[in-house]
Amino acid sequence: MIKRLLAATSIVTLCLASGASAAEKIEMWVRSGIGESFKKVVEAYNASHENQVAMTEVPFSELVQKYATAIAGGQAPDALSLDLIYTPAFAAAGQLEDLTDWAKGLPYFNSLSPSHVKLGTYQDRIYGLPLSVETSIFAWNKDLYKKAGLDPEKAPTSWEEIEANAEKIRALGDDIYGFYFSGGGCGGCMIFTFTPLVWGSGADILSSDGKTATLDTPEMRKAVDIYRSMVKKDLVPASAASDNGVNFLTFTNGKIGQQSLGAFAIGTLVTENPDINFGVTLIPGVNGGTSSFAGGDNFVITKGTKKIDAVKEFLEYTYSMDGQKVMAKYGSLPTRGDIADKVLEGLDPRMQVGIKAIEVAKTPYTLQFNDLINSANGPWATFTNAAIYGDDVDGAFSNAQSEMQSIIDTGQ
Amino acid sequence: MAGSGPGKALPVRRRRRHSQWRGLLYIAPAMALVIVFFVMPVLFTGWMSLHNWPLLGSPRWIGFNNYFRMANDARFASALRFTTYYTVIVTIAIFAVAFPLAIFVEKHRRFVGAYRTIIFLPVVVGLASASLLWVWLANVDSGFIGPALRALGLVEKSPNLLATFDSAFFTIIVMVVWKIAGFTMIILLTGLQAIPSELTEAARIDGAGPWQRFRYLTLPLMRRTIALALIISVTGSILAFDQFYIMTSGGPQNRMISVVYYIFNQSFVSFNLGYGAALSIALLAILVVISVMQLRLLRVGEDRP
Amino acid sequence: MILSKMNASMSLSRRRRERKAFRAESAYHATGLAIALFFLAPFAITLLASFRHGTEARLPPLPPWPVNGISLDSYRSLDTFGAGVWQHTFNSLLVSLATVALTVAVSVLAGYGFSRYRFPLKNVLFVLIIATLMIPFQSILTPLFIILARLGLNNSLFGLTLVYVTLQLPFSVFMMRNAFDAVPKEIEEAARIDGARDLKLLFRVLMPLVLPGIATVAIFAFLNAWNEFLAALVLLSSNEKYTLPVLMMAVRAGRLGAVNWGAVQAGVAVMTLPCLVVFLLLQRYYMRGLMAGAVK
Repeated sequence: MIKRLLAATSIVTLCLASGASAAEKIEMWVRSGIGESFKKVVEAYNASHENQVAMTEVPFSELVQKYATAIAGGQAPDALSLDLIYTPAFAAAGQLEDLTDWAKGLPYFNSLSPSHVKLGTYQDRIYGLPLSVETSIFAWNKDLYKKAGLDPEKAPTSWEEIEANAEKIRALGDDIYGFYFSGGGCGGCMIFTFTPLVWGSGADILSSDGKTATLDTPEMRKAVDIYRSMVKKDLVPASAASDNGVNFLTFTNGKIGQQSLGAFAIGTLVTENPDINFGVTLIPGVNGGTSSFAGGDNFVITKGTKKIDAVKEFLEYTYSMDGQKVMAKYGSLPTRGDIADKVLEGLDPRMQVGIKAIEVAKTPYTLQFNDLINSANGPWATFTNAAIYGDDVDGAFSNAQSEMQSIIDTGQ
Repeated sequence: MAGSGPGKALPVRRRRRHSQWRGLLYIAPAMALVIVFFVMPVLFTGWMSLHNWPLLGSPRWIGFNNYFRMANDARFASALRFTTYYTVIVTIAIFAVAFPLAIFVEKHRRFVGAYRTIIFLPVVVGLASASLLWVWLANVDSGFIGPALRALGLVEKSPNLLATFDSAFFTIIVMVVWKIAGFTMIILLTGLQAIPSELTEAARIDGAGPWQRFRYLTLPLMRRTIALALIISVTGSILAFDQFYIMTSGGPQNRMISVVYYIFNQSFVSFNLGYGAALSIALLAILVVISVMQLRLLRVGEDRP
Repeated sequence: MILSKMNASMSLSRRRRERKAFRAESAYHATGLAIALFFLAPFAITLLASFRHGTEARLPPLPPWPVNGISLDSYRSLDTFGAGVWQHTFNSLLVSLATVALTVAVSVLAGYGFSRYRFPLKNVLFVLIIATLMIPFQSILTPLFIILARLGLNNSLFGLTLVYVTLQLPFSVFMMRNAFDAVPKEIEEAARIDGARDLKLLFRVLMPLVLPGIATVAIFAFLNAWNEFLAALVLLSSNEKYTLPVLMMAVRAGRLGAVNWGAVQAGVAVMTLPCLVVFLLLQRYYMRGLMAGAVK
């Protein structure tokens, strides 16, 4: 009811605002499932500013396609909340507004999330700036730990420990499982939660210049073996094998002992599933170390928009203390390192783990992220399913390795 | 005729010209729509296929390179293979279900109208909705099929039907048969009803068994109807996309990528609009060839009434 | 004696025949019920399950009907996607009904033209219309979008309607041509002598005769426009213009990393019920038109 009232008032303000001559109406697209944080910051902005942001939610799997088609037809929105890994490809195609001079003039520029700025940079010019920060973390269900006779306050530090814990939790009952991951060819989920296993121990799936696929490493073999073994021991629900990402947060049903999640899930769990008592820690590597994937969205501006000043005003608002606080309250991590502590003041202390993850986090920089990693039909997604669930592990490795390399080579 | 006397020929010619003009006027709205929303996009697609045309950025002329690339594209070859496999299996499955159903609902019994209506119901539902409905039914934890099998004690654990190729493919075939069989049934029914009952009666008196009557009387007489049902089923199966996109996202380890799915991926996931366009033109050519072959099949039926 | 025996044996054989007939009848209806169950069950299960409580949405529908009382939770959660389910239903209705009206108008005219007039390139043009069936329209989406943008019809329900009408034309024009072909020429001649001409002839005299064909075309247009999702998704670009199938895609994509199966059930129910109702109300025309079209 409150939500509907809010919506109604925002429509009213919208109508009033469009009557005023100076006010601009910014068209902005976001992917569906971005969560409440961005919606709330738009609401807060619209309530306090003359310019208005009209936000359209686009189903996340079709966002890139729709945006590109809209550009081709000259009908693109003014701004877009773009999954940060796409920023290089869109910038390289020359479709985004160059923000370099303005961005460097921001007093807090140097404390913006480094992964986002790195991905937002193409040939030394800046095209994208952080909008929401998202890191991957490891979560465990404290109640299930307790029931299984484990110490609910002790975070696991190795995968051997995680697997042993999973076995004890699985023994609790028919529909209680020790571990979960979206294994049905969800490239995005697996790069987010699975690659930290090898990153933490120093390996990577792409060379640092992004020109060679380096999938087949001892670390990756070990990571695959750990997941395979957990699947084989029936510690993972059968539904994981075909989950293409739509049930990424299965942890929220309270019947999963452990799972690697995104930091935004902390907010979701706290607000939507308050009955789940959970702890979070950094994702361990297979041979020690910890890592994380720095994900989230970059804010990009369509080249040639006439409302660029209004868009900049909105972005500055999201970087202000008010904006940051609204977003953090609904689960998004602060994008500004300098005020992160203040922003998170009074919020759930577990959010701090998400911030700590930023320091160890990586993000692959490649123009072909979609083709290589994210596409449900790309080599990475296929690899994760085939290596963990298939019968031919060696074949899965060699197929994916050669297909990734061929995609990189054709893209050069 | 053209050179005959002016006094007589003129009004005829004028009337014909008049009538020509009028006929074109009647079909003008349809033609306008087809030209603007079909012919122009297709020509544009053909033009795009001669370019390296990224989804974003500026296109570059590359002549027929996209078509050369297609010849060596292993993934396109496997998409073609899968589409052929799917088309053959699903067409056989549909006919294997729809033919007995058509014979079943042809009988003059009570409630036969109700049976026809019920079998036809899934046809009127969209393929996307049907896929969504079956994704849920086939879901391992929250669905119906797996948990019901388990509740009946037939399996020990609810199986994840969409996790392996065979069971996922089987689920999709069952869904498509459920959705389409009613349509094929009605078409076949018209063919069955068009067979004069005296003929079957005569065959019966001559001592022909049910199978013989079906094989030597019903089948040949229904040639045209079967051809029509076949064309519709085959064309629809070759263009299949929604069920794979919604139900398995291309299926366990990419093994359910149909040709249209591959075109969609090339255009909108890999951003190669140019290559996607070339693939579309190739698919169009394949469909035209198949349709011409099938139309010929239809005409063969006409020769033997 | 002999006669009565014969009588007795006859009545015996008749009774036997009757019993046999009864058994055949029972077997027939048993099969019929089993078939009906298979085709009806998915609808029934979904519809029943959609009225369960929100907390049960995650559980399998065993039994399918709501055991803990009826609740509209699923439908309410559906309303939290996009601009709300009513807005999207309204858009879908608008587009579908406009598609029906335009498709009928355009295809009646074209069907009449192709059936009754001779003009140059007639066969080529007819084949051209039918050829629309043969291109996977996913592959012409980008050009379509660009053309619509040039015409100023992007992100408009009218533009989407025009695309839907075009997609309907092959089937509809084919149907209507056959329908007009089936009308005896004499009727037309007689009406002509009575002074009816052209459009008046078409609307007053011929229309009633091809009504089953029109009903078929109309129902097909409605169902296809109501159910289409990909073009709607790509060609529309604001929340308040999305049609129901686009809403369904958002529901499938889930929210907060978990699919709400209750919303999926409710969505499938909202998507399918209008189709089923339209079909059941008009099925007599639909079947007759379809069968008439198939015979040709």
